[in-house]
Amino acid sequence: MRILFFGQLKAITGQPEIQLPFPSGNSDDLWRKLVALHPGLDPLSKQVRLAQNGEFANASAQFINSDEVALIPPVSGG
Amino acid sequence: MEIFVNISTAPLERHPLLGDDNASDQTGAVAEFKGIVRREESGAPIAALEYEAYQPMAENTIRRIILELAAAHPCTRAIVVHRIGIVPVGEAAIIVRVHAKHRAEAFALVTAFMDRLKQDVPIWKLRGVPLNPTAHPKNGPPGFAEVLAIVEAACEPLPSEHVSLAQATGRILRETITAPEDQPAFDRSAVDGIAIRCDDPSEAFTLVGEIRAGDWRPQALAFGQAIHISTGGALPSDGLQVVMIEDAELSGSRCRILRRNAETHIRIRGEDVRRGEPLLSSGTQLTPGAISLLAGIGKTKPLVTHQPRVVHFTTGDEIVAPESQPSSGQIRDSNSPLVRTFFNQLNIASTHHHLPESLADANIALAKYAAEIETADILIFTGGASVGAHDHTPQLLAHLGFDLKIHGTRLRPGKPMLFGTSGTRLAFGLPGNPLAHFVGLLGFVRAAVAHLTGTTAPTLQPSLLTAPLPAGGNPRETLWPAMLSLRDGRLMAEPLRWSNSGDLAALSRANGLILLPPGTGLLERHSVVNVLPCSSFP
Repeated sequence: MRILFFGQLKAITGQPEIQLPFPSGNSDDLWRKLVALHPGLDPLSKQVRLAQNGEFANASAQFINSDEVALIPPVSGG
Repeated sequence: MEIFVNISTAPLERHPLLGDDNASDQTGAVAEFKGIVRREESGAPIAALEYEAYQPMAENTIRRIILELAAAHPCTRAIVVHRIGIVPVGEAAIIVRVHAKHRAEAFALVTAFMDRLKQDVPIWKLRGVPLNPTAHPKNGPPGFAEVLAIVEAACEPLPSEHVSLAQATGRILRETITAPEDQPAFDRSAVDGIAIRCDDPSEAFTLVGEIRAGDWRPQALAFGQAIHISTGGALPSDGLQVVMIEDAELSGSRCRILRRNAETHIRIRGEDVRRGEPLLSSGTQLTPGAISLLAGIGKTKPLVTHQPRVVHFTTGDEIVAPESQPSSGQIRDSNSPLVRTFFNQLNIASTHHHLPESLADANIALAKYAAEIETADILIFTGGASVGAHDHTPQLLAHLGFDLKIHGTRLRPGKPMLFGTSGTRLAFGLPGNPLAHFVGLLGFVRAAVAHLTGTTAPTLQPSLLTAPLPAGGNPRETLWPAMLSLRDGRLMAEPLRWSNSGDLAALSRANGLILLPPGTGLLERHSVVNVLPCSSFP
């Protein structure tokens, strides 16, 4: 699974994107895997939204390995 | 509803989506919001903001939000452009333009959209670019856009002065010039011919006078009367037409009209320009045509910006004058002619002095030029070709009271560039290699001159490569010399081969630079690249 980091998350993880093996699961499963890899993400889990293939994922979304997932911290455009 | 969305690194002020936006006949209101980067971020002064976007999602989300909001606020067209990357202070980060039948829904859509943008569109303000990055070493050295923003933020416009037209060539106008009177100031004949009344059906006429250019002879014509008039001659009364001399047959004081049609052959008063109409706007560079216009309206002392005073110092004992024969280990000075010619092309005179190699001797030499340095607007220091000599420039600048804002960049060539300010004076320290000099002059010094004089320098624009560019995946941002040309209205860039930053052969053909992001590998022919041209293409 391709995972993209934006904004302050890039500084926390030290990279703009990673490849993460993820057979399937919901957003909680995905978060657990991400936090295990980058514990610095844990305190931000409440503010960060997940985007699945370019759309915000809803709470019941199921993720599979071929998804592109972006971690969207609070936005600040304009 | 039409929706146009684009997120890009290019300046929004000249975005094609906004330039091509003509109102349809359904449009009764156009509302526009422009978000501009302020000089301050979180209480600290900045030179620019850096933005980032999750691009496809951001563009799609903007489109969806507009569609949702348009259900409540029906509009006919929306254009949203957002800039990412480095956005300098004073420039727009976002422009939203909405067309609607009436103003209420146009304003409402703009306002509601901006609220939603700030909640749901994946675009981030990453950081402010500090005015003085040397005080923030943890960010690492600045790249092209940051250096440019820092230099531009340090520039204060120079005062203006009235000069004669002979001194005004190439200067930047600092007032708006309006027409003092109608042009032409009176109805005048466009041809050599015979003036008669439009309502006169006669075919044979008596010539009752002659009017040449410069004459002023008001006269009413009766039926059967005509006046021989020269091109540029003032018509003697209203309601006349001029028949071309070829269409008349003259014999003494008699004349017959052979052919006559509706064409009056008269240049009507005010036909070119009406009194009070703006002719030249502030910020215009005075070209030969503009100077001719000023002369034509009697504006012989236009208000223009002071020309920047430039002093150039070279250092390094290995440098000999171009007319000398270098001995072993020496090289001819190619940088000071480069600097002098660069400023000459901007109609700016510069003075040049060579400094001795040792720091102590250089400081003594600088003391001799104290008055020149004090009144200069721009100081350029060339480090000489040797790295050791260049190492002194930070100390020389500190000794002269300059506050160093840039000490090294991420650019190739041009990595060891220096930039400092003292009051309103600017100092650049350019690496001694000619190509690095060219990059410093074209990339940054020219932008500084534009800001000082109140005009705009050419900016990055998209161009097509005419040949493959083997950029080699260099991890540094690179400015690659190029020969630019227009082909079928498109800007084309031929990448020039360069072996090192002392490559004069590449420099001699370069009229622009290609900006390559870090890590750029092989670019195929016809790839789109951003180029910085030497001169503006119209």
